[in-house]
Amino acid sequence: MITVDIYKVLQAANGNIMLNIQLDIAKGQLVTLYGPSGSGKTSTLRMLAGLMPVDKGHISVQNQRWLCTKENINRSPQQRSIGYVFQEYALFPNMTVRGNLEFALEKRQNTDIIDELIAIVELEELQHRKPNTLSGGQQQRVALARALVRKPKILLLDEPLSALDIKMRSKLQDYIIKVHRQYELTTILVSHDIGEIMKMSDKIYCLEDGKIVKQGNPIDIFTNTRVSGKFQFTGEVIAIKKEDIVYVITVLMDQNIVKVIAQESEIIGLVIGDKVVVASKAFNPMLLKVEV
Amino acid sequence: MNIFSGHISDIQVNESLSLVSIKINEQAILQVIVVETPQTAPYLIKKNPIQVLFKETEVIITKEDIPDISIENKIKGTVNTIEKGILLSTLSMDSEIGTIVAILSTEALQKLNLEKGSVVIAMIKINEIMLAE
Amino acid sequence: MIDWEPIILTAKLALVTTTILLILSIPLAYWLATSTSKMKPIIETLVSMPLVLPPTVLGFYLLMVFSPGNTIGGWLLEYLGVQLIFSFSGLVIGSVIYSLPFMVNPIQSGLSSLPASLSEASYVLGKSRIKTLCRVLLPNIKPSLLTGIVLAFAHTIGEFGVVLMIGGNIPEKTKVVSIAIYDEVEALNYSNANTYSLLLFIITFVVLLTVYAINGGYLKRFWK
Repeated sequence: MITVDIYKVLQAANGNIMLNIQLDIAKGQLVTLYGPSGSGKTSTLRMLAGLMPVDKGHISVQNQRWLCTKENINRSPQQRSIGYVFQEYALFPNMTVRGNLEFALEKRQNTDIIDELIAIVELEELQHRKPNTLSGGQQQRVALARALVRKPKILLLDEPLSALDIKMRSKLQDYIIKVHRQYELTTILVSHDIGEIMKMSDKIYCLEDGKIVKQGNPIDIFTNTRVSGKFQFTGEVIAIKKEDIVYVITVLMDQNIVKVIAQESEIIGLVIGDKVVVASKAFNPMLLKVEV
Repeated sequence: MNIFSGHISDIQVNESLSLVSIKINEQAILQVIVVETPQTAPYLIKKNPIQVLFKETEVIITKEDIPDISIENKIKGTVNTIEKGILLSTLSMDSEIGTIVAILSTEALQKLNLEKGSVVIAMIKINEIMLAE
Repeated sequence: MIDWEPIILTAKLALVTTTILLILSIPLAYWLATSTSKMKPIIETLVSMPLVLPPTVLGFYLLMVFSPGNTIGGWLLEYLGVQLIFSFSGLVIGSVIYSLPFMVNPIQSGLSSLPASLSEASYVLGKSRIKTLCRVLLPNIKPSLLTGIVLAFAHTIGEFGVVLMIGGNIPEKTKVVSIAIYDEVEALNYSNANTYSLLLFIITFVVLLTVYAINGGYLKRFWK
């Protein structure tokens, strides 16, 4: 549905980066662009949206050509029919929540969509407030709803949740998954949160220095190719403590904290903040029914 | 983590479980049970190179071979180094498959009266070993 | 008793000038805030020139250009029947050029301070540049717009050199307050000069106070 082959020289802090990206995304997929900062994820998204010029290449969406440098075709952002959610929300401060959504309406478009979207992201109570009186999570919900007013086919999300706390992030992820399915969107997400990627995406493209170095199913990319353990989760190391002759590693997985015993040789190079896969055999965990 | 490389020498499948035998070298074969079959895990092919992984804490140490015991994997070796802690101790042994590290209670270590050069057998249950490509 | 004519003329000049400047400065400031053209530094310099140039220099050149003896002035008189020197229209043109930086600079810096994502968000919602400017950008730089309007207005009230050069001193046509003061002093009518001066002093004080109060946030709640 979306085929991309773009080339651009990006000016970065430490010299130029040759960005060269090929994407092939099927309709209805939720794909993630993953990689260290400065690897070209956001630039790729911006070029898809038409917010950044491309040096060479083509972009086509549903057999429509959005960009073809050879034939001098280049649709403006206005003509590309996309929903774009910015990292810093980019809500219009002079308009209310509802005003932000109404601004997005096209000429003669039915206004029912406004109420529908406000209901989906549960902002009925806040719809007459100005954005700067809302929390980060609420603002990003407004931005998500606003991006969908024109019923775009493609939703582009540029690290939309990176400024939010874990609880809010998980809630927003659910909203994104909900609208992605309900409006049959093809969604491209920029993220560096492995837990988020595992939860949300069908496919992941790993970028490094402007090139795709790996692509595939997130479980394959992050875990399965490595160990056979069926009991696998990704998390973030939040504490490393030596106790007796072993190390106790505290790992935050989604909203749960777990502790893992490790040997010195296992934690070489491991620092707080690192992403890790916690794996165990399916034989080891015990199940206890929760009484409600 | 103890990691050893070997080749798959045998696979027995029943429904979604497989009992895999891995030949580490001429002397040693380790058995592993996994919730995978050759259909779900493409690496489960005879003669395929594979790695076996197990935690130090899952290694059982004995001085004498116990024939009537339900542990499938047994590897003979000699104690190389011992690092004593308060509750737990680390023991590393040279075996026919390489260095195996075990973590056991300091009390058990003293009861067994282990020291450098002692001949020991390391035992690991089939469900404690993981496979990696 | 002072003559009220120069005061009315000054107010009219300031009002007309400010209105023209506002219409002219928004597109110009928008272009300066967004353009990456190589021409930009040159235009920026030209806009800011009146800040440092003695007003008499500007007035002198305008006088030269618009004189009926000159090509442009002659053409204007011959084909449009307009004579700009020693007329109110001439004063307006001179004032517009002279007060241009006071309107353009605040608007330009206001626009530049807005995050780029604001206009980008509007573009991806399918909105044109003009609609984005009017509905998104300008409403979010109201304090800058107000600063520009007030400064341009106040500056026009206080000008002297340009007005004298291009307009001369024709009662009811080009005799503004600043020139009236000069006149009264020449005629040794110090009391009248004082009245005019005090009036200008008070107006300028009030106007500038308004700007600082708004930029300091004191009036923010009234200006939303």
